Amino acid sequence: MSPEATTKTTYHVPIGPIHPALKEPVFFEFEISGERIIDIDVKLGHVHRAVEWASRKRNPIQILYLAERICGICSYCHPAAFTLAIEAAADIEVAERAEYLRVIQGELERITSHILWAGVAAHEIGFDTVLFLTWEIRERAMDLTEYLCGNRVTKGIMTIGGIRRDITKDMLPRIQKDLKYFKDNFGKLAHIFLDDKTIKMRSQGAGILTKENALKLCAVGPTTRASGIKKDLRADTSYFAYGDLDIDYITPEALTGEVNGDVYDRIIQRLLEVKQSIELIEQCVDKMPAGDIVSEPKIAKVLAQLKKANGEGVGRHEAPRGEVIHYVKLTGEDAPFTWKVRAPTYNNILPWIPMLKGEQIADIPIVAASTDPCMSCTNRVAIVNNGQRSLLNKEQLHRLSVEKTRRLMH
Amino acid sequence: MGFSMLGPVFRQMFKKPWTNKFPAKYQPSSTTKYLEAVGAGKVKLNPPVPTPPGFRGKIIYDKEKCIGCKLCLKVCPCEAIEFKEKDKKIKIYLARCCFCSQCNDICPTKCLSMSNEFLLADVDPYSKELIVE
Amino acid sequence: MTKDQKTPEEHVKYLKDKFNTNIISADIKKRAAGSKKNETPSIWMKIDKGAFKEIVKYIIEYNYPHLAIISGNDLGNNIELIYHFTVNYGTRLGEINLHISVELPKSKPEIETICDLIPGALITEREKQEFLGVKIKNIPDNRRLFLPDDFPKDVYPWRRDEKGLEKLYKNLHEVKK
Repeated sequence: MSPEATTKTTYHVPIGPIHPALKEPVFFEFEISGERIIDIDVKLGHVHRAVEWASRKRNPIQILYLAERICGICSYCHPAAFTLAIEAAADIEVAERAEYLRVIQGELERITSHILWAGVAAHEIGFDTVLFLTWEIRERAMDLTEYLCGNRVTKGIMTIGGIRRDITKDMLPRIQKDLKYFKDNFGKLAHIFLDDKTIKMRSQGAGILTKENALKLCAVGPTTRASGIKKDLRADTSYFAYGDLDIDYITPEALTGEVNGDVYDRIIQRLLEVKQSIELIEQCVDKMPAGDIVSEPKIAKVLAQLKKANGEGVGRHEAPRGEVIHYVKLTGEDAPFTWKVRAPTYNNILPWIPMLKGEQIADIPIVAASTDPCMSCTNRVAIVNNGQRSLLNKEQLHRLSVEKTRRLMH
Repeated sequence: MGFSMLGPVFRQMFKKPWTNKFPAKYQPSSTTKYLEAVGAGKVKLNPPVPTPPGFRGKIIYDKEKCIGCKLCLKVCPCEAIEFKEKDKKIKIYLARCCFCSQCNDICPTKCLSMSNEFLLADVDPYSKELIVE
Repeated sequence: MTKDQKTPEEHVKYLKDKFNTNIISADIKKRAAGSKKNETPSIWMKIDKGAFKEIVKYIIEYNYPHLAIISGNDLGNNIELIYHFTVNYGTRLGEINLHISVELPKSKPEIETICDLIPGALITEREKQEFLGVKIKNIPDNRRLFLPDDFPKDVYPWRRDEKGLEKLYKNLHEVKK
């Protein structure tokens, strides 16, 4: 039903602040005509925690752990980008072996995050068996993280000038065993996601982001690559050991030969990236040089050096959701003068608008989830009380989405 | 797809469950009474999943080795460490600790280390269990 | 995307020739990483507010850039905005970072919007308005982004002067002894 076909006025449907897809706070207000979405307004800031401001009272070593707590899933990317920024600003050397170990940690995080996302996406369209299957695989990735870092979520592995834990020879068999497990199960996952009729029906042609929009709205990560833009920091620039590794851009073209920029393409994109990550970890394990894992083991010395440093630096790291960029300015004090964090979802908010326009209400969860939003990363500063508005809550919305899948199957 | 999920479903029926029943195999009728019994040594806890090597749990503090250099205070992200001026030793509030083990790394005499203990839940943030000194 | 890819040095030379006095300083920093020591170039440019939009137009003509974020500093008398652009992505190790810094006097912290050229700049421009108290002229959406509607006016969290947050908090690190 097109808006012109009816004389009725449009309705405004507020959704949120608890996110319809991932359980995260973002507030949508949709203008609806019948079942079609005409306009979208996004409100943010429900979990702004003043992280950047809090850094004014902390030294760079302390900020590493503050950065780690920006996001639970990206608990490696934020300290990584911050470390890169600090190292650029103060011109600190990095141990060569640590560069490879950093890549391994980053890619392991990508595997964990993308598989988690695959499960959530399946859940959004009512395919809960796949949710449990993916999370079983993810559990293995979490166990491997725990084995390499000591803890499951807050890894605490990054440090300025290197990395805090080495991968010794006796740890390699365990890594290889788990990589083999991921590879074996990757085929299964790919089969379910790429060949299943229901998933295709729900995701093909839904939430289209054109190449032009992705470019103009500055989308990042798998969202922009699924629209056919070759933008991957790991290949574009040389940071960590990515400059040494054999890595190529991945777009959905690699599998289907065409780019539509729809939800289905974003599913393909993430699955292909999981495979790429496994290969990158294997390359790193092979090529890793021997040596120290940190350029200056005495942290007190590093802190003294940073206290003297003057300058500004930018650290960029390709996180699972896209580019994380941190800007740091040092002015010869304990704490950095400025620290600005940009999480990938920040840039992936505006692309939601062209994606959702013209879609049905039941498509909101899967389309919104398809950018893998992480709102707590994006809102880093205050607390908000959103008043009394009648809401279509997430259970109702989820039910709508599941019902649409059922309708399509019959 | 056909019936490709049938295999996993059948396997699931005979597999040992992944879940580790902790702290008891079956839900006790009263948790407090159960924990009292554990405290009295009458019942044994069903053990938790073992922690991995290098796990960062409750901090162990070797007071004798500490020289009172205050370096750990400088790096602690949560300001969980307090310096006792009188006897030149430290006091760690675990309720604020984020278990990053940065104080372990910077300590020149290695008087701090991380244990495997992670069952630290308490109702009082200043209880005896949660203060290391 | 244009085929003739310029080196960072050529970019700087071209911009200096074209905008001469409007470019206050331009540095090229390169940082090597990994065993092969491949380098990533970044251009740090300080420019005058007047030529800002022309320079953005030049970059767009050359190769549509990705605007990562606008970051900002409170420098005392001035507010500095740094636009972090990247160009040439899509070629292996070919990316150039462009950090363009514009200083605005605190007495009149105003700058033109670039949303008409790069629509994706909207979110970050809105954020700079509420956090640094700069005025973005002709911004398509003037509302607040992260801060709640009942947050006091004329308080800008990233400022370091009397308009900063100092009045709004107390007892930050209080521990029962």
